[in-house]
Amino acid sequence: MRDNDTLRGEDQLLPSPRRGRGGGGEGEVAGQGHPSPGLRPPSPPRGEGQLLSSRRAFLQAVGAGACAACAACLPAKRSAAAEADDTHVRIAVHDAKWFERLPDKAVKCQLCPRECTVADVERGYCGVRENRGGDYKTLVYGALCSLNIDPIEKKPLFHYLPGTTALSVATVGCNMECKFCQNWNVSQYRPEQVESLLVPPENLARMAKAATIKNPEKPCLTVAYTYTEPVVFSEYVLDAAANARSQRIGSTIISNGYIREPALRDLCKYLTAVKVDLKAFTEKFYAEQCAAKLAPVLSTLEVLHDIGIHTEIVMLVIPTLNDSAEEIGAMAKWIATHMSSDVPVHFSRFHPMYRVKNLPPTPVETLDRARKVSMDAGLRYVYVGNVPFHAGESTYCPGCGKIVIKRVGYNVDVVGLRSGACGSCGRKIAGIWSQDEALAFKPKEKTAAK
Amino acid sequence: MRDAGGVTRRSFLAAAAVVAGAGLVGGLPMPLRGGSPKSSRVVVIRHEALAAEGQGGQGPAPERVRELLDEAVKTLTADAKAADAWARWFKPTDRVGIKVNCMGYVTRPAVALATAAGLGAIGLAPQQTIIWDRTSDDLRRAGYDLGNATKAPRCFGTDALGDRGTAGYEAKIVTSGGIGSFFSRIVTDEATALVSACILKDHNLAGLSCGLKNFFGAIHNPNKYHDNGCDPFIADVCAAPPIRDRLRLAVCDALRPQYNGGPPGRPQWQWAYGGLIVSTDPVALDRVALEILEKKRAAAGLKPLEAEKRPARYLASAQARGLGTADLASIEVVSIGKPWNEI
Repeated sequence: MRDNDTLRGEDQLLPSPRRGRGGGGEGEVAGQGHPSPGLRPPSPPRGEGQLLSSRRAFLQAVGAGACAACAACLPAKRSAAAEADDTHVRIAVHDAKWFERLPDKAVKCQLCPRECTVADVERGYCGVRENRGGDYKTLVYGALCSLNIDPIEKKPLFHYLPGTTALSVATVGCNMECKFCQNWNVSQYRPEQVESLLVPPENLARMAKAATIKNPEKPCLTVAYTYTEPVVFSEYVLDAAANARSQRIGSTIISNGYIREPALRDLCKYLTAVKVDLKAFTEKFYAEQCAAKLAPVLSTLEVLHDIGIHTEIVMLVIPTLNDSAEEIGAMAKWIATHMSSDVPVHFSRFHPMYRVKNLPPTPVETLDRARKVSMDAGLRYVYVGNVPFHAGESTYCPGCGKIVIKRVGYNVDVVGLRSGACGSCGRKIAGIWSQDEALAFKPKEKTAAK
Repeated sequence: MRDAGGVTRRSFLAAAAVVAGAGLVGGLPMPLRGGSPKSSRVVVIRHEALAAEGQGGQGPAPERVRELLDEAVKTLTADAKAADAWARWFKPTDRVGIKVNCMGYVTRPAVALATAAGLGAIGLAPQQTIIWDRTSDDLRRAGYDLGNATKAPRCFGTDALGDRGTAGYEAKIVTSGGIGSFFSRIVTDEATALVSACILKDHNLAGLSCGLKNFFGAIHNPNKYHDNGCDPFIADVCAAPPIRDRLRLAVCDALRPQYNGGPPGRPQWQWAYGGLIVSTDPVALDRVALEILEKKRAAAGLKPLEAEKRPARYLASAQARGLGTADLASIEVVSIGKPWNEI
């Protein structure tokens, strides 16, 4: 069984999140507006075999090139706290963007639709952004709790550089609280509760390039901000994606889409693709299951379409909660109307997790029905996820029906795609099919209607 | 720290008797719940010694606070000896977690230490008492001494139990109403009983932060539960079995409450109320605290919390969950010293 972009221990280059062991702020990189470039690559604390093992795994995966790349930029200066525990941190402080100052040292966060009003010493809903004396800070700038090399299909992105891999990273934190969260063991924690590794933004592209040197058959062309919610660490995404673009590496966020438009447009200056979890198509579901609202997510999808960035949508289909044909049909029509019939949509199988353990895994028939309803509504590229060997994993030409990309699990065979078109009938297949095309993306200016 | 006012225990009792009446100090018939026309009792003891800022802002000396706290608990139970009062709620075999609030404007160590001393009077060894909050660093910053594990109560944060996995939180998620959280292992593994040693302060979202909201510090994800004025989440946290089954007493630091600008400490909105508030009903205690806060706000020319769209609506939710009494008319408020509602 595989879960789209769900953390599994065997997949991780870093260990599963290690929890704090006392000391609270131990390892905090305090007072650094911006971490020094090129802090050391992940290294284990003394006596921690698990992490050492994982670090080895990482170095093996990315090859000697990564070591060279990272060692070449050892820090000129590190904080005392970082010195104390090398690059292991729980909190990595950096100035936040996207907020407004209020009287009495309060701030109003402008990053996501929650627009938290945060008093001095308090944090926003996400738990990773804190008001310190009227200055708003992110506490997770470069503090990675997860670092893996995944197939791009695992994100899942099916119409974006198929067969390549993505350096996949995350910090803790999320601006929703989905009761069915598949990565709750990092997304729902606060930074001081998880030991992370400090990786400055400019190291990510180097790591991706090193991974390609190690495994040219599966080139690592993208950095994916994923697993938890990249919106909550947008400052890091922005800086790392800008750097990656300059090094000809793409960037994508795997997001719940809960972000305000100005921040989204800022990020899209450097991103090359976006995947959005559209968790349901009712406000009731969002309110009861996610402690959030649907409307801002739909707004995000419209903005993404307006920007013109490659976007794919995933819906985790949960029995009885969001699986009705009516709801899925309405969602498909909305996507076709407000975005495009060419937007790839994935219906993923739910597995009992976190606070929703009383429901069974999604029957495959339910996913089949969702796929059919959506295609009947006009969507051209609809997939079934988390069901290995399902025919709905492959891409079919909407013109002639021939397979253009065959997928079996993460085995990808581009069998019928020629220069972005169907090899049989010549119909253009929507997507980003080369790194040049990905890096050529420039966001469109905001239209008056948006 | 010595009482700057030089008030003796005798003069204090004399003053208390004037206001409260001989019946209170001499021993009120004390059905805690049920026998009184009022369903809950809250005792407010006020004394100028409690309003002292003390050296370094740490407030009055613990021994002075303890003396006054003992008076309060005796009045709460109508016992002649404080130890008898403490013994109504705690057994010598208990391990008691004294939950302090180290977030922003903090519970003074003197109040927590006075509570621990009261527990010591019934035979609890220092090792059986833990003064705690989320992290040890939070406690240090709030002025707590984490250094002495033999003569003083133990004092550490949840994170100090991180070697037991999940950052010092229990691995099993607890669902209670709208919340789903991991609770501190200090609660689930260490403590058989809890005291909420809170501070009376304004809160920018919940309206009031006092005895109930204090337990946001017991869960791993309090940031998720600030929507809608923290309602019903405060009530849901306190209604969860790890808290509900252990909470036996609330002791509120009302020495210098803060009536605006919380939860961070803002000296310009603190005043010398000079009080300790105790109750076995944490909802009633919070309701009385709210009344004090609102009266001070009115006296200072500030709008009521309702007008600022942050009423302490969690109180009604807490009552609905059976945690206590939120109706002021149903609460018996007993003053020792200056009347509780004289701001």
